[in-house]
Amino acid sequence: MTTYTICVFTSNTIGLLNRITIIFTRRRINIESLTVSETERKGVSRFTIVIKHESRDEVEKLVRQIRKIVEVLAVFGYLNDEIVFNEIALFKVSTPLGGKAIDVETVNKKHKAWVVYWGLDYVVIEKTGTETEIFDFFAYLRLNHEILEFVRSGRVAVGKTEQGLVEYLPEADWAYYL
Amino acid sequence: METVSVLPEIETKPATATMISGSEALMHSLVAEGVDTIFGYPGGAIMPVYDALYDFQDQINHILVRHEQGAGHAAQGYARMQGRAGVVLVTSGPGATNLVTAIADALIDSTPMVCIVGQVGKKLLGTDAFQEADVMGVTMPITKWNYQITSADEVAEVVAKAFYIAQIGRPGPVLIDITKSAQQEMMTRPFTYEPCAGIVSYRPRLTPKQDQLEVAAKLINNAKRPYILAGHGVQIAKAEDELRAFAEKTGIPVATTLLGQSTISTDHPLYVGWLGMHGNYGPNVLTDQADVIIAVGMRFDDRVTGDASKYIRQAKVVHIEIDPSEVDKIIKAHAPVIGDAKESLRALLPLVHENDHTIWRNEFRRYDAIEYEKITEPELSSTEGKIRMAEVIDMLSRKTNGEAVLVTDVGQHQMMASRYYKFRRPNSLVTSGGMGTMGFALPAAFGTQMGAPDRQVVAIIGDGCFQMTLQELGTIVQNKQPVKTIILNNNFLGMVRQWQQLFHQRRYSFVELQNPNFVMIAQGFGMDGHTCDARESLSDSLDKLLAHDGPYLLEVVVEKEENVFPMVPAGASISQIRLS
Repeated sequence: MTTYTICVFTSNTIGLLNRITIIFTRRRINIESLTVSETERKGVSRFTIVIKHESRDEVEKLVRQIRKIVEVLAVFGYLNDEIVFNEIALFKVSTPLGGKAIDVETVNKKHKAWVVYWGLDYVVIEKTGTETEIFDFFAYLRLNHEILEFVRSGRVAVGKTEQGLVEYLPEADWAYYL
Repeated sequence: METVSVLPEIETKPATATMISGSEALMHSLVAEGVDTIFGYPGGAIMPVYDALYDFQDQINHILVRHEQGAGHAAQGYARMQGRAGVVLVTSGPGATNLVTAIADALIDSTPMVCIVGQVGKKLLGTDAFQEADVMGVTMPITKWNYQITSADEVAEVVAKAFYIAQIGRPGPVLIDITKSAQQEMMTRPFTYEPCAGIVSYRPRLTPKQDQLEVAAKLINNAKRPYILAGHGVQIAKAEDELRAFAEKTGIPVATTLLGQSTISTDHPLYVGWLGMHGNYGPNVLTDQADVIIAVGMRFDDRVTGDASKYIRQAKVVHIEIDPSEVDKIIKAHAPVIGDAKESLRALLPLVHENDHTIWRNEFRRYDAIEYEKITEPELSSTEGKIRMAEVIDMLSRKTNGEAVLVTDVGQHQMMASRYYKFRRPNSLVTSGGMGTMGFALPAAFGTQMGAPDRQVVAIIGDGCFQMTLQELGTIVQNKQPVKTIILNNNFLGMVRQWQQLFHQRRYSFVELQNPNFVMIAQGFGMDGHTCDARESLSDSLDKLLAHDGPYLLEVVVEKEENVFPMVPAGASISQIRLS
């Protein structure tokens, strides 16, 4: 199984998320993570969808079918080494009276994570990194503390090529997005 | 909305002094788009539109069907004849869900259609209101595009975009879900209509790239046994002349898919037959011997390829296709040419060399002779037993000189019609190919006749299919359309029975029908008709049908357990084609 990151650029329309995910459902492909946000161009949304798949051919077919959606401006399928990617995780960690103190130095220096909220008997720690780094940190925390809640954002990614999105769009339309 | 107008305002209607409602805006938009025929059925959530339609009867001919599915199939038939979008108008909830089959059918067979569907008022959305269904959600996977209008001001722009998307590139159905509140409310600005000139995110390539053409031309010019497979895309692009010119210059034999039939005349010397599960013997078998396949506007459906992993492994493939997602989907293309079939063939013509491939072409004749001896001749020359379907179609073909438009339903009669009708004019077969929708033919034949008033339209329908949409006899009679209907009655769901006979040890599981008196049913609707069950009277019966002024129904009682051959068993490779 290879991890693919599919970046979909669309005009911002109601229901589009549904139209895109239907294509995955039809082909019985499980979505590992999905994030959506507006890009540097007003009215253009960016979907970052991570999947695992055995066949590059199938992923290419998937990408072409997503491209077919009327509101989709561009689609790119990437392997991990073609992108810069990260995700963010929040850990709600129990800190009861008399319990083990959080080793802030290890958290900060070794894991590059930060306490972002202090509750009465818990803290919230934010960790940015790859899935591997986040799960390493998860393992460290679980060994020493009780994790009350854990959430990951899903991957965000940008391609390593020098082009920006606009260069993939028809030149005549650049003005519309700049 | 990202509709961008490249052209100056060309057809802008003068702003009316008084503001108009969303429903009136819809009517004005349809008129501006050149719509003169609508197939529909009224109901609660679309009543404001029907009220507006009352004042537009001189400009828009609304056809009241008997069931929304019928409206959809009629619009499909109409669209295929006219080469532009068929328009459907129905109400919310059950009105819309009844239309779903036709929308799915139109998508898979690339038929342009604009479906306008009522919806409950904006404030009631999502509340399980009376006749509310999530039509946007239901139709999302089966439309090329869909949109929910919730304000009157949106109407003109969305209608323009809908027609543009339905018709450009690879055509398909679009759906507009319009809330009752948007139909009723007044626009806040004067009505203007501007046809959609382009959508930033959707720019289908019509003109192929030169480098792709050159790669394709090189393959074609070096081929020893090249073979053209022509699909529905040729007919949609109206590229029949270009296909013929291309084939004639290169001397390459042409086979068609089911929906590609009639794109080249059956009496053309380069036409070799049609492909697929029940297609001709040579055209199927010889795909495995071609060295270059030139696929034009076709998508390598599994009914054409058989087992795709064993299909044309020896050949290089030139794939001329307007939809890039079809290239490499089933069969890897060595030379993809992305573009409209007409423009692509026209651009390819000067790049290919003259040739005649006589020896290769003669191989098809050898197989033809085998097929004729083993299948065609016995089918057509039987003198005993009941009439055979093949005889009916063959005689019809001769009596109409191969110039009628055939509208066929789904099953044995559909395959027999394709096998034995000798098409001689372009755009002469309307059938449900990809979806295989039983009940398609009667409403589609009505729409076909509406779309091609000057042509003889003959619906070929099985007894099972007919009973799925027979209420549309009423629509045909009410609108005085001279549709000729032939029911090939074998009292069986024939194709399923054939499979049960061949692959399930004759375990006939729920395929026998107790049929009504079809002629009496037609007469009940006010349509004339009669039954023919003797070979001697078949010719007179067909004459009577064809000569009748107005719609007519002919029931032909045919052999009960007739099988369609050749046949490629499902999942087998095409080389395993069976002749008996």
